[in-house]
Order: sequence, then structure tokens, then C-alpha cells
Amino acid sequence: MSYDSTYTREIPLVEARSGFKEIDSVLTHPLDTKPTKGWWIAFAISFTALLIGALSLANTLYFGIGEWGNNQPVGWAFDIVNFVFWIGIGHAGTLISAILFLFRQRWRTGIARFAEAMTIFAVMTAGIFPIIHTGRPWLAGYLLPLPNQNGVWVNFASPLLWDVFAVSTYFTISFLFWGIGLVPDLAVLRDRTTNKIKKTIYSVASLGWNFSNRNWSNYERAYLILAGISTPLVLSVHSIVSFDFAVSVIPGWHTTIFPPYFVAGAIFSGFGMVSTVLIIVRKVFDLEHIVTINHLEKMNKILLATGMMVGYAYAMEFFIAWYSGNTFEQFVFINRAFGPYAWAYWIMVSCNVFFPQLFWFKKVRRSIPITMVLVILVNVGMWFERFVIVVTSLHRDFLPSSWAMYAPTITDFGLLLGSFGFFFTFLLLFLKALPLVSIAEIKAVVEGAQPSIHPHPHSSNGEHK
Amino acid sequence: MIKKIQNFFKEFNSREDDEKRSGKIYAVTSLFDTPNEIMNASTEVADKGYKRFDTFTPYPVHGLDQAMGITNPLVGPIAFVGGILGCFLALLMIWWMSDANYPNIIGGKPFFALPAAIPITFEGTVLLTGIATVVGMLVLLNKLPKINNPLNDTEFMKHVSSDKFGIVIGANDKNFSETEVRDLFQSLGGHSIQNVYYRESNLTDKTPLFDSKFIMTLIAVAGLTALVSYFTLNYVLYEVVPFDWMRHQAKINSQSPSDFFPDKAGMRTPVEGTVARGFMPYEYKGLPDSAVRLLANPLPASKNILERGQDRYNIFCSPCHGYFGEGDGRMNDQFPKPPSLHNNKVLNWMDGNIYHVLTNGQNVMPSYESQISRDDRWAIVHYVRALQRSKNAKDQDLPK
Amino acid sequence: MEFNTKKLPASVGKWGMILTAVGAIMAGAAFAVDSHRAMFGYLWMYMFLVSIGVGSLALVALEYLVGANWSTPFRRVSEFLSAIVVLLAVLVIPLFFGMHDLFHWTHADVVAADPILKGKEPYLNTPFFIARTGIMILIWIIFYLLFTKNSRKQDITKDPALTAQNVKYSAAFAILFILTISFAAIDWMMSLEPHWFSTMFGVYYFAGTLVAAISIAAYISVGLNEGGYFGFKVDYEKYYSFGTLMFAFNVFWTYIGFSQYMLIWYADIPEETFWIMNRMEGTWIYFSLGLIFIHFIIPFLILLPRSSKTNPNLVMFMAMWLIYAHAYDLYWIIMPTYFKDGFVFSWNELGFFILAFGIIALVFNYMASKFNIVPVGDPKLERGLHFHLN
Repeated sequence: MSYDSTYTREIPLVEARSGFKEIDSVLTHPLDTKPTKGWWIAFAISFTALLIGALSLANTLYFGIGEWGNNQPVGWAFDIVNFVFWIGIGHAGTLISAILFLFRQRWRTGIARFAEAMTIFAVMTAGIFPIIHTGRPWLAGYLLPLPNQNGVWVNFASPLLWDVFAVSTYFTISFLFWGIGLVPDLAVLRDRTTNKIKKTIYSVASLGWNFSNRNWSNYERAYLILAGISTPLVLSVHSIVSFDFAVSVIPGWHTTIFPPYFVAGAIFSGFGMVSTVLIIVRKVFDLEHIVTINHLEKMNKILLATGMMVGYAYAMEFFIAWYSGNTFEQFVFINRAFGPYAWAYWIMVSCNVFFPQLFWFKKVRRSIPITMVLVILVNVGMWFERFVIVVTSLHRDFLPSSWAMYAPTITDFGLLLGSFGFFFTFLLLFLKALPLVSIAEIKAVVEGAQPSIHPHPHSSNGEHK
Repeated sequence: MIKKIQNFFKEFNSREDDEKRSGKIYAVTSLFDTPNEIMNASTEVADKGYKRFDTFTPYPVHGLDQAMGITNPLVGPIAFVGGILGCFLALLMIWWMSDANYPNIIGGKPFFALPAAIPITFEGTVLLTGIATVVGMLVLLNKLPKINNPLNDTEFMKHVSSDKFGIVIGANDKNFSETEVRDLFQSLGGHSIQNVYYRESNLTDKTPLFDSKFIMTLIAVAGLTALVSYFTLNYVLYEVVPFDWMRHQAKINSQSPSDFFPDKAGMRTPVEGTVARGFMPYEYKGLPDSAVRLLANPLPASKNILERGQDRYNIFCSPCHGYFGEGDGRMNDQFPKPPSLHNNKVLNWMDGNIYHVLTNGQNVMPSYESQISRDDRWAIVHYVRALQRSKNAKDQDLPK
Repeated sequence: MEFNTKKLPASVGKWGMILTAVGAIMAGAAFAVDSHRAMFGYLWMYMFLVSIGVGSLALVALEYLVGANWSTPFRRVSEFLSAIVVLLAVLVIPLFFGMHDLFHWTHADVVAADPILKGKEPYLNTPFFIARTGIMILIWIIFYLLFTKNSRKQDITKDPALTAQNVKYSAAFAILFILTISFAAIDWMMSLEPHWFSTMFGVYYFAGTLVAAISIAAYISVGLNEGGYFGFKVDYEKYYSFGTLMFAFNVFWTYIGFSQYMLIWYADIPEETFWIMNRMEGTWIYFSLGLIFIHFIIPFLILLPRSSKTNPNLVMFMAMWLIYAHAYDLYWIIMPTYFKDGFVFSWNELGFFILAFGIIALVFNYMASKFNIVPVGDPKLERGLHFHLN
């Protein structure tokens, strides 16, 4: 919560008192109008990136994953780096929609829908990588415990299988969460639109939602429960991703702090991405009084906090590696910081820990251009974090004769670019297809939206107690 | 084509919108302007003893539940049941698949290792909790989806979905009387008080879900999808790289030609002088047995070597020589009968001679160099020696 | 606003005295009988007081930092409890004298013969250890003084700028808290087994302190509110927040504990597993299984329904339960180093447990008699009193 300087009054979430009708028209405006030139340019860029990704994917599928730079000893590289990166991006959405909801941080309303959509698209993007990494993605059905002609089952002791369950559960629950948030808004659209085709689609998609308080009552309770289960879910997903590494015996991968460290990093990178996109979107779609500078400042504070957590984990890993007295542990960390991939390590540390320190200054937190630069650096830094973890731990292992360097190929870069194209193409379509801020939720936090009187309780027969 | 689709939708919608409202009254509706008004009004309506009433707001208004005297006691238990179910189903699945049905040792862990089962159990719990919550809330409690609600497409709904607050008192309430309700709304400060009538389609009990046409369509779609998938996977894609189950690979199978080499042969002969692992060249190859008198058995005559020798002997030698070396093997009718291994010639041979015969062959006996490894040949020599000794045992050979 | 706060009943002070006296006598006797064993009991008590004192200080900072207002009427409870950090500076002295009993790495001959311990010597050596301890306690005391001074000043001046200042201190303290509590855990508990290491250990202890601190705050706040000692009475919705936070912190502790255990179990590297094996041998296995039930399964199931989080008696009961659970957790961390073969709990250890509660009661009673039990000048108080869920 944020207050004015007297700490007695909360700063209103929506700047300038808006009427409900006005909120409807502002938030549905992007849906009712033809895309602007800016949108088309953005779409053209991201769709081009998507096509480049598609070409790289076709190349990978036809010739196999030998087209990538992965080779022994670096058997995991861009594929897994991108997977972890995109899964991490998704976590901010759930954090905003679930954890901040539980902590009654009402400022989340302005950005929740948008961040949840980002979660879904990010998880979709992330899901591509482990599947194509299997080499023959059309056989991905074998990842599930389905009866098959071989009579065997999947390996339940493998963290890679845990990933399958975690990511698919995460996608399903995020989709449900996002979906039930959309239902009332689709009903608003249904009642606003005059276009017959749209009306039919909205009528079906809104499931006949009718704004009845008996429905709202169950709805709100269900929303709370979903938020309650999404919170441990979001922790579990990135923890399980971290288990992919941490259950091994590879120095640099096997360390007990990985689960919370990955979660903090995921939230950090996710907020970085949400901020990056939001700064542009609020400008383009004219939502500066709904997604206010206060929102951005709060997100910057969360970036600062999670950046420090990530920094704590870097430091603790380093310290315990030395403290352990284990030569291999010590070597891996020295090699990270001063070996051939030191550049990647220091990009990671500076983007994730050093630069966000600027957010200590209120001026920086409230300056949009500086924020923009810093959040992009966070995105870069967090991608490199995964690169450092995956590649530097593998390229020099226990046996010096098998040491090698890793070099990505053009296909690797194409897929990385394509993943951004995939994500942003979906995001741009979302912006024009669905209200990007929850209409019902934003109405509920407008000043004067809640009654100033409190009801007295009824007994069951409708009489006063 | 697009015109046609548009027309279809137009028709579909106009039917929906202009559908005749039957004369039967569904409810009386009233609108209010502020949240405080709706709170008061809800309290009053509840106090008057109405049961079949509902309040409509564009967003959840806090305190309305208490004002209306309603609670939401079922969502939590539904979620809880889903969670318990998810937890147990996941544990059961993991235990049955990895311990009961197909136990497999993985990483030296127990077949069913609880710490490793916890992540998936957790995900299963969350998944079913979430699904139970959403389905329970939407379908069981809120009775959605329901597109033909008589209130939909009314002016009332257009207002409460946007900027007004409304109360509806249903005609099926036992205290319902149109005039009383209208008066009540009037006195509470409501405006736009209107009657809503049932649509004609609402009066019938037919559920569109069980419409035979709908079900037939579903079956047809499912069948078609299954057929198309089956043929695509098994016939269309069967020969298409990369979906061909890796049958076409850029490698040379044995016995197949290759354009890469000038002689078009895929299989290559090894470079001269190549020695395969475990196959040391035999230096007396082709020489008469007198040359190998001094070759000594490098293996000790220990129990397991003798057993190995027996095993090899029974496989490779016994078909002709017989199990006891008497030349009465099972192949006697097809092949010339070999001499007994207990004749004086063999008894007086050095170990090296027997080894030489095994390695080099003799008369009709071929060389066994490529079938039996060097150590195994020496083990057989030991075994043959044991056979000879047992067939020609002396008193001192008997155990005391 | 006027608050007719009641004085705490004399029984609190009386019981504090009795517990302290009984505890001190038993602890003294324990030292007299077996000082080596008693030193471990003392460390156990000390760590428990660190959890309560420093954890409470962290809760105070957390409230400022996130701008929560539901907890403002109860903030003084945590403030009073955080006064324990001042006592920690005195109570730490016996630890310095007992280092030789507690810490293997203080034995020069052992270190000389052990290349691993030799390698750790730049960190694990007596002067540096004492210096670190001093700095940590100093940081806690400084922030305790900063927070409470401003908070008390605000009672009179009602100046919102003081809140703003405390928010700034909180940001600094948040970082220092995580660092100090991690190194406290590493120094005082992890180095009991100097060969063992786990990067998660600091976070594990941190999670435990939060459980203990929120539970004791809930226990005292609910008790005082029900008894009408605050001069106001807030509705049950506020207990919901206590219940939820106890539940959430406890689940967080479980998450950290499980992750640490599972990763060590899965990788199965001898240099890590011995610490776990130590806790699974002999009767310790029952103690370890008990930890899972006492610290996770039972509180989880009881606190899960919404209704139990608004029931004052149940919230108080579960708060006390979780405080014990945290003590149980600390016992599980510290004691297997001394009792290698199986778990032992006797009057030698019980005395320290009683002493810890006596000290907490005395400190709280003293602070409550000296200072306002409600932060009457806090600008967020008004909103906190009229706080509603949703």
C-alpha cells in the first residue's frame, strides 16, 4: 500500500476520478478501433522475428538438434537457457495476480491482467524449448504417464518429469486464473458491442455471466482460493526447474539454495519484462492514469528487493563454495568469475545486482527513461544468469581432458530471436483482442466505488439479529 | 463466403435478440445509482423476507453479502475435496507405476521414494484443487454457462454490467406481488423499474446439451479427428523425414553399398596389420605342432577356470568329442568320428599342443580362434587335462 | 484518540520471575553436572532468543516496509519483544567461554590434522568469530534503538515524518537482517559440524525465525486484545491476518526445509549426507519424523480452513504450538552434534527452555510497564483500527 506523506490516506490507484462508463470506454477502446500504425510496426517486427524462429525451428526439426552448438561436454545450452528464462518471465504474472492479491496490494489491479497474459504467453514460449530439445517433439506424448506399447512408465524420480507436471499444471492454473478474471469483462464487452459477430463470440466466451452478487460472492471466494494455490504453485514451478540442475552432482549445479534463488530470480526477471512492456503499452494505449507512475515505482521497488535476493544467492554460493573446502566447487566459481566466460558472469552480476542499486533513489524509480534502461538490463542480466549456470558449470567439469568451449550456431540465435517474436506476437494480438486491464477490478478500486456504510448481519430468516 | 458467414451470424443474433418474450413474468428489476443505495436497498429487501432476489453490480461490492444475508460456504470445501483427490491420485499413480506395475531401479533409490514423489504430488494437488474450484464455482454453484438467462440482453443487464447497481426480485418468490415489489423499489429510491418476461425458449425444459443433432455432430467431429490423425501419423507421415521413426539416417548399414567409396562398398576392410581387441595374433599359426611344444598354459587350474573350461568345452567341443572326450559326440552320424582324447598321443601331449590344435585346427577340425577367446581356449585345455586325469585315475588321485 | 490501556496483570511479571528463577537454577545445576552438555542447551536457548528477538525486529521493519496497517495496533508487541536483542549482547558472553565445548574447530590440534578445517581457518577462527558476533549484535541493537526511538517519539509528536524515517531504516535493516541472520546461522549452528555446508542454511534459519516471531506476536496480541488490554478491541478479521501469516511462514519454512533435505538426499554426496544421517540414526529418526508432523503437517491441516484463522482460542493455541515447534526445530539442528547416538531430552535441557520463556515474559512485562502498549501517535493506527478484509 502506498500513502501520501501523512500516512493517513492511501494514494488513489486510479488517477483523477473516473466514471464507470469512462473506464469502460477507455479500456475497451483498443478493441473497438482499428490497429494503429505503431501497432502494425510492432507486429511486423515481432512477426518477422517469429518467422525467423520458425525457419530455425524447421531447420532443427529436419536436420535434428545437431544444428545447434550443444556438444559434449556442454550438452545443455541455449535450449535450456531459453526455457528457464521464459519460465522465469512467467512468474511475475502469477506473483502480481496471486501473491500481491493475498497481501491485499490493491495496486496490482492495474497490471494484473496484462501480467497474467504475459505469464501464459511466456509459459507457452518456454514450453517449446524442452520439447524441441528432445529431438523428436512429435513424440512428446511419451513425456506423459500414458499406457504405451512398451509397457513402461515415465521415470517419476526424474526432475525432468517433474518439470512436465509442473509446467503443465502451471499453464493450466494460470489459464484458469486468467480465464475466470476475463469472464466478467467479456460480459461487459458482450453488453457494449453492437457488432453481431463479436456479440456471439463474447456471449459464448462470457458463459452468460450476469453480474449477480450471488455469483460474485462465489466468484470472489474462488478467486481467493486460486490465488492461494497459485502462490505455492509459482514457488514450486521454478523450484522444480532448479531441481533439474540441483539434484545432480555437478559443482555449480548442486547447491541447496537453488530453489529459492531461482524463484527470486524468476520474479526479478519477470518484473523486468512486465515493466519493459508496460512502459510502452501504457503510453501507446493511453493508460497513463490507470497504470500510473506509482505502479512503476512499486515495481521498481520489487525489482530492487528481488535483485538483492539474487545478489544474496550469488554471494552465498561463492562463500559456501570456498567454505566447503571442496576443490571442484571452488574451481567452478573461480572459473565463472575469472575463466573464459567471465564476461558473461560480470554481465550477469552488473545487470542483476549493481545497476538495480540505482533504484534506491526515488528520482530514478520515478524516471521512466532510466527505468526503461534498467529493466532492459535486468532482462539481459537474467538471460545471462541462466547462461552462466548452464554453460560455465558444464564446460569445465571434473576431467580437464574433456574441457571445451561452447559456441552457439546461427540456428540457436534464430530460435532465441524467434522466442521473442512468438511471445510478442501473442502479446500484441492479446492487446487488440481482450481488455488489457481488468474492467471489473479497476472499477472496484476507483474512489467512491465501495460503500461508505457497513451492513448489519442478517440472521438466516432475513431478520435483524 | 465472408458475407455468408456474416449473414449467418446476423440471423443467429437477430433470432436471439428479437425472440419473442412470452407473457410470463420472470422478475421485476430496478436500478440504483450509488453503492450506498444498493447496500441499503439490499438490506431492506432481505429484511422484507424475500428469498428469490439478487443484487447486480458491475464489480464485487464489499459488504453486499452481509447486506443480502448470503454466504459462500461451498467453494472452500469443493476446493478441499479437489485437493485431497489430487494428492491421493498423484501418490497412487506414482506408487502404482513405479513400484507395483513396473519397478525400476533408478539412481539407487527405492522404487517408491517419497521425497522424489513429493513434487508431482504437490502439482497434482494444485491442479485438481484449481480445476475443482473453477468448475465448482462456475458450473455447480453459479449454474453457468447459461446464455439464455431471461435477464441477458435487457436494458437492465446493459446497465449493471457498466455503471449502475440493480436488484431483481424473482416472480418465483413466495412473497412476490408485482405491485408490492414495484412500490418497495420506488420507496428505496430505485429507478427504471421494469418487468422482465421469460423468453419463449426458456419455457421448455429441453437442454440443448442433449439435443440429438448436437450429440451427433460431436460424435462425427470426434470420429473424423481420430481417423485423420490415424492416417496422418501412420500413412501420410510414415515416409516423410523427420517423422519416419529414424528409418532414414545418414549412416551406412552393414552389407549395404555406398557411393562415398570408389569401390561402392559400404563395409570396409581394416587396414593391414589391424589387431582387434582381445585377439592377439597367434605366432605359430599354420606351423606343425612340434613348433609349439614349449607353449605353457598361462592360467592357473583353479576351480572357476576349470568351470569356465567345462562350460566352453560343453558348448564348442562336446558336439564332436563328446562330454567326456571319448569321441562319441552328438554329431557322430554327420561328421567323421574324432579320436578319443584319452589315447596315448593326446595324453602325452604338452598343453601347448592341445592349444595349438584348438587355435590352428587339425585334419577336419577347423580353427576355433575366432569363436573362443584366448583365455577360454586355455581354460578348455585345463578342462581336457582334468577329463584325462579322471578317465585314467590312479589310486593316489582318489580323495583320502 | 484516547486509549484506556489496562496494565498487564501482575501474574505476567510473577510468572516471568518464577520461570526465570526455576530455569536459572536448573540451568545452573546443568552446568554444574555436565558443563559440556549444558553448553549445548545454552546455545539452544540462545538461538531461540535470537529467533524471537531479531525476528520480532524484522516484523517491525516488515510492517514499515510494506506499509501494512492491519498490524499497526499490534506493532508494539513485536517492538517490546525485540528488546531481547539488547539482552543478547549480555547472554552471548557465556557462549564465548564455552566455544571450546561447542565448536570442534576451536581445537588447534584437530585443525592442524585436518586439511579441510585448515582451509577454513581464515573464517573459522576464534578472534574473527567473536568480532562477527559482536558486529551482528551491534547491528541489531542499533536498529532496535532507531526503530523504537522514533516510534516512541511519535507517541507524543504524532509526526508522520518519523514513520517515513523508519521506512528508510527498514529498507536498510531488511538487507542487514538477512545477512546477519544467515551468518548467525552459519556461525552458531552450521559450524557445530564444521565439515558440513549448505547454501540454504541461512535461509532455513531465517524462515524459522519468521515463524517464531509471527507466532509469538500473534499469541500475545490476540491474548491482550481478548483481555481488553489495548483499550480498543478489533474484530476477528485481524486474527485472520495473523493466522494467514503463521500459515504462510510455516509453509515457507517447510518449502525451504524440504528443498534442503531433498537435494541432499537425491545427490547423495557423503560430505553432505552425514549431517542428515546423524539425524536419522538411533532414536533421532523419530525426532526427525516428529519435526515433520509438529512443524508442518499438524499446523498445516489445522490452520488451513478460514474458520480456524479467525477463532481467537485456536489462533493462540496454534501460535504457542508453532513457538514450541520452532524450539523443536532448533533442538533438531543443534543437539545431534552432542548426542550422536540418539535423542536425549532431560532436565538438563528443560531448564534452558524454561529460562528462555522466563526471559521473554520478563522483558515483555518490563517493556509493557514502561512504554505505551499502543503506538498512539502512528498515523496508520486509525486505518489499522478500522481495517476490513477485502
